Amino acid sequence: MSSITLNRVTKRFDQFTALENLSLDILEGEFVALLGPSGCGKTTTMNMIAGLDEPSEGGIYFDGESLSGIPLQDRNIGFVFQNYAIFTHLSVYKNLAYGLEVRRLPKSEIERRVRAMADRMDLGKDLDRPATSLSVNELQKLAIGRSAVVEPRVFLLDEPLSSLDAGFRAYMRAELKVLQQEFGQTMIYVTHDQIEAMSLADKIAVIDKGRLMQYGSPLAVYDDPANRFVANFVGSPRINLVDGELRDEAGRRSLVLNGGGMIPLSGGVDADFARGAAVHGGSIGIRPQDIYFGDRRADDDIRLTGTVESLERVGPRRLAYIRMQEARFLAVDDRDELSVREEVAFHLVANKCMAFNLKTGERLRANS
Amino acid sequence: MTDIISTRVADVSGDEAMDGKAPLRRGYWSAVARDGRRLGKWFVAPTVILLLFIVVFPLAMQLYLSFTWWTPLDGVRWYRAFESFNAGDNYARLAVDSALWSAIWRTLVIMVFAVPAQFLLGLGLAYLFVDQFPGRKFFYSVLLTPMMIVPAVVGLMFFLVFQGTGPFNHTFGLPASFTWLTDVHRAMLSVIIADTWQWTPLMFLILLSGMLAVPPDQLLAARLLGGSSWQNFRKIILPRMKPVIAIALVLRSVECFKIFDLNFVMTKGGPGVETETVSLYLYKKTFADLDWAYVGAIGLVILFVLSAIAASGLAFASKKAKG
Amino acid sequence: MVRPSPGALALKYALILFACAIVAYPLLWMVTMAFKPYPEWTTGTGMTWFPKNPTLQNFEFIFFGHAKGAVVSLDRTIVGPLIASIVTSVCGTALAVVAGTLSSYAVVRYGILSGLPLQVLQLRLFPPLAVMIPIMVMWAFLGAGDTWWGLSLIYGIVTLPFAFWLMKTFFEEVPIEIEDAARVSGCSHWRVFYRITLPIVAPGLATCALFVFIMNWSDYLLALMLTQKNWMTLPVYMSTLTSAMGGQMYGVKSALGLIAAIPPVVFGLLIQKHLVRGLTFGALKQ
Repeated sequence: MSSITLNRVTKRFDQFTALENLSLDILEGEFVALLGPSGCGKTTTMNMIAGLDEPSEGGIYFDGESLSGIPLQDRNIGFVFQNYAIFTHLSVYKNLAYGLEVRRLPKSEIERRVRAMADRMDLGKDLDRPATSLSVNELQKLAIGRSAVVEPRVFLLDEPLSSLDAGFRAYMRAELKVLQQEFGQTMIYVTHDQIEAMSLADKIAVIDKGRLMQYGSPLAVYDDPANRFVANFVGSPRINLVDGELRDEAGRRSLVLNGGGMIPLSGGVDADFARGAAVHGGSIGIRPQDIYFGDRRADDDIRLTGTVESLERVGPRRLAYIRMQEARFLAVDDRDELSVREEVAFHLVANKCMAFNLKTGERLRANS
Repeated sequence: MTDIISTRVADVSGDEAMDGKAPLRRGYWSAVARDGRRLGKWFVAPTVILLLFIVVFPLAMQLYLSFTWWTPLDGVRWYRAFESFNAGDNYARLAVDSALWSAIWRTLVIMVFAVPAQFLLGLGLAYLFVDQFPGRKFFYSVLLTPMMIVPAVVGLMFFLVFQGTGPFNHTFGLPASFTWLTDVHRAMLSVIIADTWQWTPLMFLILLSGMLAVPPDQLLAARLLGGSSWQNFRKIILPRMKPVIAIALVLRSVECFKIFDLNFVMTKGGPGVETETVSLYLYKKTFADLDWAYVGAIGLVILFVLSAIAASGLAFASKKAKG
Repeated sequence: MVRPSPGALALKYALILFACAIVAYPLLWMVTMAFKPYPEWTTGTGMTWFPKNPTLQNFEFIFFGHAKGAVVSLDRTIVGPLIASIVTSVCGTALAVVAGTLSSYAVVRYGILSGLPLQVLQLRLFPPLAVMIPIMVMWAFLGAGDTWWGLSLIYGIVTLPFAFWLMKTFFEEVPIEIEDAARVSGCSHWRVFYRITLPIVAPGLATCALFVFIMNWSDYLLALMLTQKNWMTLPVYMSTLTSAMGGQMYGVKSALGLIAAIPPVVFGLLIQKHLVRGLTFGALKQ
């Protein structure tokens, strides 16, 4: 098992810069998710770790040793493709055995390991069947098993669960986690699904347009986003973000929204904005779960009024879209009492509000 | 696609549509034009007629003639050949005709050396062309050229090349007395070389298309699992190419058996009968000996055997390719 | 996606260049021979690849029957065989393509004679010589020997299977929805075929025509057997050319070979994309 280090990796394709100065330190045995929207560069990063491509600048290291110049087949990497890339002309057994056979291991050894892996993947009874006779879910297990059986030091998975049905996806998530903990492999998992990343990873690297936005534990990324992009990308339902200008009137700060309306600042968020003295434009982020209706619960909480625009039921929860002049807030209707077109007062939990520099997107923190 | 449909349909259906015009226009051909099955029958008619009268009929004629002693020297019309009926003597004769069997043997020798050589060379070339590289398209076109040259011209080319005083000997520093086309041992070799030169590109073409059909993802997965190029070639590419390989081998073998233009132009079958293949033997018997009924018998036997082999080979390959 | 090492790339180019050299070798010899004057045809004066005194003498000779510096003349120029080749190839192609296109459409769309494909396939696989006798007898009977239409007819028949199979694959690729839409709008079957489907497969039709043309042009055996003086085609003319002196006429034959070889090579390069499809009877697509 290896630690992986990316040191200021840059990748250019002609005029297009896919990755810029990406640096990551992945510890041995860690499960790291590369999270980001399509085209952000996460697959490019993966390809370079695997050896499918070389960085234009910077270096990649396994356990401190540089990988440049080491060809694909010598890197001892497990790679699971999004579309499995199962050898369709071979049996299940032969698929699992491929990596071992090309290493010329003795037949008995190969048989032992293949059977063990097949049992663990619950494919033991299918060993002699052609690989094409398996269902989609079984194919995914085969793909993982095939890479795992050679005991690679690093495991790369490229959106492996995206083609599975939802129920099985949850099951496979659990399986992957167990597998990783058991083998202790370093796993890098590319996904655009933040729920997957949050539930599986030890650390998440949020990437956008080739740049690393934040690298931290799921909780850190969720509770303490480093910038506006991360806050927006991580969290379901999506965080509310309102933009405006900071105004300071006689010691009372408020955010005058671009579309009209005003949010008086207090508590934590006030302190955050106070820190950024040179900042004029700001954004406030507040998660829907941190907006409540009814009476104020804490002194610092910010009270606003608006009109209920629409209500939506999502599973057990009801979500309310509140309009305050031009601004819109999505809130969780915990009391289930609202009706459409009702004028209502709602509160923002001050300590959960996040302050952002409107121009740079950077998170403003009072104690940073 | 919908825009193709709409523009073409609008363009076409205007005047023909049901406009209630008088039945004057509904002639025989109009009716045919509207009826799929009848139209189809008319479409197939030319082909069927050609096949019936120019294939089925001659075959029947040949079958008939093969049971007689008839030759054009007899002076009677062919349909009166029954006058020299011989009930299978021709067939018995061909079984023991040593000249025929020697010709068959020689043809097989050429096949056994030429076809595998072309296959292996074509396979090697195909492997070089699987990945993209600068100039690939250009070199591809260049390497395909030999199979597009008129075979008789290829015969001429190698006739010139293999002259005792020709370039080949010159390139390899051999004396002018080291003849090829008139040497008992080397004449056949020169024919094999010429055939290989001409048809390796065909194998290259077919095998390359088979190789490119191998899903690149799987090849990538194989490499990531640690497989070397050779291992992946053996375990992934080749097995998946089995139907393509079968088609290529069957097609080329059958064509090679029919070889005529090359050796006719290069050596006329010589020296002596050294390069006399089956086709050449039949040619001789037809035009020199005028032994037509006998040739007819031989022809039918060859036709039968070759068709059976080729058809079964191609059916097997097509099934594998689709299944 | 994966880059080969520079060493491997160099080796690849070396092998490919070597193969190209082998391809060029006999071609170059014949081409240069075509431009060599009479004394250089044999290597009495020393072996050279490129003519010491390049000349168009050989071409003059074949086109006009005589040339400066040549003491003999031909009894016939290239013009006759050239026309013969062109006429018979074109007519044979027309016949094969029309018949093949119509019948393959009928098989694909109307399911007529679904047993036909296999029988038609068999046709191409046997040596023409195996059934030449009855063909020759019939041709003599019909008075078709040594005529343009006799040779065109046999050319058309022999290449009909290829045209059939090739067009069949092209027709199978036309989505039936297009034709159905036209039918629903009131077109007759014929109109659908003629105004809708044919234009769609027009490139395939062109490919088929060129493909068949190459095959007809390259024929040697059929022309050898079925023509004599009047309609001898170019390849036969080239190989049977003799001069009154009995010399080998290398230069002249090379010039003929060069001319004969050009059309198929040019057309072949044009239809390169579809070669696999045609050569394997549609079993494989490129």
